Amino acid sequence: MTSTSRDLAEAEEPAEPELPVPALDALLRSMADDEFVIGCSDSEWTGIAPILEEDIAMSSLSQDELGHATALYGLLAELIDGDPDVLAYDREPNEYRHARLLDHGRGDWAMTIARRYLYETADAVRLEALAGGSWAPLAGLVGKMAREERYHAMHIGTWLERLAAAGGEARDRLEAALTTLATDGATVFTPLPGEDDLVTAGILAAPMSELADRWRAAISPTLTRLGLPLPPSSPVADARGRSDHGEPFTWLWSEFTMVRRSDPGAAW
Amino acid sequence: MTEPIPTTPRAPSASDGTLEPWEVFRQEKDGDPMRHGGSVMAPDAELAVHYARELFGRRQESVRLWVVRRADVLDLDDPDLLQPPLDRSFKKPGGFVMRDKLAAAREAAGQSKPKGRPG
Repeated sequence: MTSTSRDLAEAEEPAEPELPVPALDALLRSMADDEFVIGCSDSEWTGIAPILEEDIAMSSLSQDELGHATALYGLLAELIDGDPDVLAYDREPNEYRHARLLDHGRGDWAMTIARRYLYETADAVRLEALAGGSWAPLAGLVGKMAREERYHAMHIGTWLERLAAAGGEARDRLEAALTTLATDGATVFTPLPGEDDLVTAGILAAPMSELADRWRAAISPTLTRLGLPLPPSSPVADARGRSDHGEPFTWLWSEFTMVRRSDPGAAW
Repeated sequence: MTEPIPTTPRAPSASDGTLEPWEVFRQEKDGDPMRHGGSVMAPDAELAVHYARELFGRRQESVRLWVVRRADVLDLDDPDLLQPPLDRSFKKPGGFVMRDKLAAAREAAGQSKPKGRPG
């Protein structure tokens, strides 16, 4: 292309709307931290999952989540001129912005299945609200993530059905886990600072409170059919849904930052 | 009554959470033959496909998988049918082994072994 035609092409493009950077920062950080924390948390099953095949499956799913976190931290780093590793590893526990749903520790297998079910279904609603967004880098990444999450949804749906249908101890533990997690499920949809700017800019299809309603509507038929407790319909009241993480996360943080902290600044 | 071909009988599926083996065949790229990849243990068909996907597809190393319950595989290993004791070399694509007969015929005719086709 000659310089003249390039100039012409640029001149014909509509003026780039200004990105709502602080709000995008909050969105990318929340999504990356969600994926990073559930990936680290579920990888706690590596070596001790119920059977070898499930051990490999859960480890592979966890790696997928870490891969999504890598991509999202990368996008955030480009946006704010930062470093993905610094974002992932060099913050204090109270600076992470993942949903409190992910703050309950690994727990037993039923707890892991219940948490994954609530998170995966919520994440699917969130991804759908971002897929057609106006900011191409995020919309493109979300499209790729959604294709992998399709399998995650199949996997977790299979397990939810099995534990629910098994009766006995398996079902008791699943019900207990869903009851424990119920109020925290919707913390995935904690309102983000500046989220109105994201909606106005066409990056996010609807406010988080509306996505929370969509999520409840999406999971109600399955949970009702299985006779399992539904998450309460009350909206998330405050912004604490993505802070105030508590002791189980402090422990997880100490695990996933251990190697990094052992030799700060080392090139890996 | 004709004797049935002696394959192992198929076992009914347990479907009570008991693990059983499933054989996994994988195709590496479109057009390739399906090759046996290995096996997984699973309590039912649905989880067997999940585990096959994880063990033989998570690194994008397959474009297609076939998952077969091992109990549904007809297993034939009867030596009378597969490894009979008589010479069956005439059934091979090369036919009878002719080397020794040819050598004897050449010797009788006083010829040496041809050295290959001329130019």
